[in-house]
Amino acid sequence: MAEIQLRNVGKRWGTFVGVHNFDLTIADKEFLVLLGPSGCGKTTTMRMIAGLEDVSEGEIRIDDTVVNELEPKDRDVAMVFQSYALYPNMNVYENIRFPLKVRGIDPATHHDRVMQAAERVELGEFLHRKPAELSGGQRQRVALARAIVRKPKVFLMDEPLSNLDAKLRVSTRAQIKNLSHDLQATTIYVTHDQIEAMTLADRVVVMKKGVVQQVGSPTEIYDHPANTFVASFIGSPAMNLMDGEVTGGVFRAPHVEIAGINAPDGPLTLGFRAEDATVAQGSGQINAPIYTLELLGDATMISVRVGEALVSVKADKTYRAEIGDMVSLSVPTEICHLFNAEDGARLGS
Amino acid sequence: MSSTIANRSSRSLIVISSAFVLLWVIVASFPFLWTLWGSFKVQGDFFSKADWTQALTGTRTLIETGGTFTGKGYEGAWVQEEFWRAAINTFIIVFFTVVISLTFGTLGGYALARSGHNYSFWLLMIALVFRAMPHITLVSGYLLPFFEWNLWGHIPTAIIVLVAINQPFTLWMLHSFFLNIPKDLDESAKVDGCNQFQAFRHVIIPVMWPGVITTGLFSFLLAYNDFSVTSMLLSEENRTMVPAIYGFLGSTQEEGNVMFAVASVVSATAPLFVLVMFFQRQIVSGLTAGAVKG
Repeated sequence: MAEIQLRNVGKRWGTFVGVHNFDLTIADKEFLVLLGPSGCGKTTTMRMIAGLEDVSEGEIRIDDTVVNELEPKDRDVAMVFQSYALYPNMNVYENIRFPLKVRGIDPATHHDRVMQAAERVELGEFLHRKPAELSGGQRQRVALARAIVRKPKVFLMDEPLSNLDAKLRVSTRAQIKNLSHDLQATTIYVTHDQIEAMTLADRVVVMKKGVVQQVGSPTEIYDHPANTFVASFIGSPAMNLMDGEVTGGVFRAPHVEIAGINAPDGPLTLGFRAEDATVAQGSGQINAPIYTLELLGDATMISVRVGEALVSVKADKTYRAEIGDMVSLSVPTEICHLFNAEDGARLGS
Repeated sequence: MSSTIANRSSRSLIVISSAFVLLWVIVASFPFLWTLWGSFKVQGDFFSKADWTQALTGTRTLIETGGTFTGKGYEGAWVQEEFWRAAINTFIIVFFTVVISLTFGTLGGYALARSGHNYSFWLLMIALVFRAMPHITLVSGYLLPFFEWNLWGHIPTAIIVLVAINQPFTLWMLHSFFLNIPKDLDESAKVDGCNQFQAFRHVIIPVMWPGVITTGLFSFLLAYNDFSVTSMLLSEENRTMVPAIYGFLGSTQEEGNVMFAVASVVSATAPLFVLVMFFQRQIVSGLTAGAVKG
């Protein structure tokens, strides 16, 4: 049981602002993902919750206790580091047991708890190996086991999958999701990978340069991005964004003409998702030569140039054409997202 | 065809490099072997003016003692001149110098490696300056106050000065070892339930062990081999081995004393061989730690 409250939390190093005015309540048992590019302050935020970084301003509460001045060991959190940070001189068993040992938990219970945690991440047969003798995926599981052995209030995970290869990442991701569901602990997970965020999170916090851009469920963030940054960060491929002019409800950009746009006259950034648009049978809203054609297996990705932007549309997997051929794309008004051309904020709802 | 050429050239390479290593071993070990051999002769043989081969054959030794090998040099040095006192003094001084400078070195090196403050850089720079100074400059500065305060001649005084000379080096060396240990380890230990000192004690020091051994060995050698400090600061009865050997050499008028020096040189060198062989694995891993990312 742990609710975490961040009250206007900020972190400064001299004049450099690492995290600015972070205000959020993380519900008990919630799986929260902090998402953003490197240097956006997501790891700093997590480290402040762990107690590894001093809080410059604001207040962090865990279950209504202000923890700003508490040592990491007194906050009842467990953390999985990006580098795993296993103790190289101890074998797997001792690594997992370490948190129990230093906290003076009754030694009689150690063996059962270590074995339980090790079984939970399928490490049973490696207990007597040193970390140096393990593969990356196995080390990662030791780090997980070490975190769960103590059943802490809060789990913190700092890009735990970033050092694994692509295939292992998918299976470990599933394991983490299953684990957090079973353990029912509040989890904060830091990543720069939007797919991890989408698949794991109950709620996602998108950050940029220390400022929170949007907080919401994965669906909300995907369907209603708050600004062009979130729109271009979430989704694979990211949302298409085109700069153009609106005159009398018609959006115009090179090769583009979309009518029925509910925005005042003037410059506008218009976005839509590649999978929402289709190849038009007759004339569509975008008529342009094909810039490139990519076969994805389950679909064919067509890209055209609109001004400086590259706009992609997912077509049927049987679609074939040559680079340079003219293509018509259907972009109905309903799938369009409208953003302020200057600050990138979302217009309307 | 090409493979046989490659084989031949690699074989000749092996022969040449083996011959070179062998030559190097002979050149490097010759002085030690020569001294070891000669320490069992009398002065007339080992320092023979007539014929140097007498040092090998031991002609005079046979005439003087009735055998081609004699332990007279050792007997004279250890029993007659009480070289064992010097050995005990050396042991005491070396032990305390190593323990004190390693204690301060590990704590200080750890603090400096983990400190984000600017002054840690300047502290290390100042340490480097003191490290670069010739040892004798410290001694000449200390000598007068030591006389005035009646501290001259005592073993603790020499220990303090040796620690002062040693400390910048141990601090630097351990600092760079600590830098190679990722900060994540400290932080992981802290989240797992350690306070700062427990993290240092349970997690960092076990990983640091080869580094501590290597640094300890270097400060051991510095204290063990020191001449300038111990010869200037210690009274006759508190002398360590190196100044004692120098003392044997200084009185060449009296025959036999130079052989005491040779015998005590061998006695002083032997423990070093044992020590290096005993710790060689830790020394090598300590010297190469951080060279390769593990």
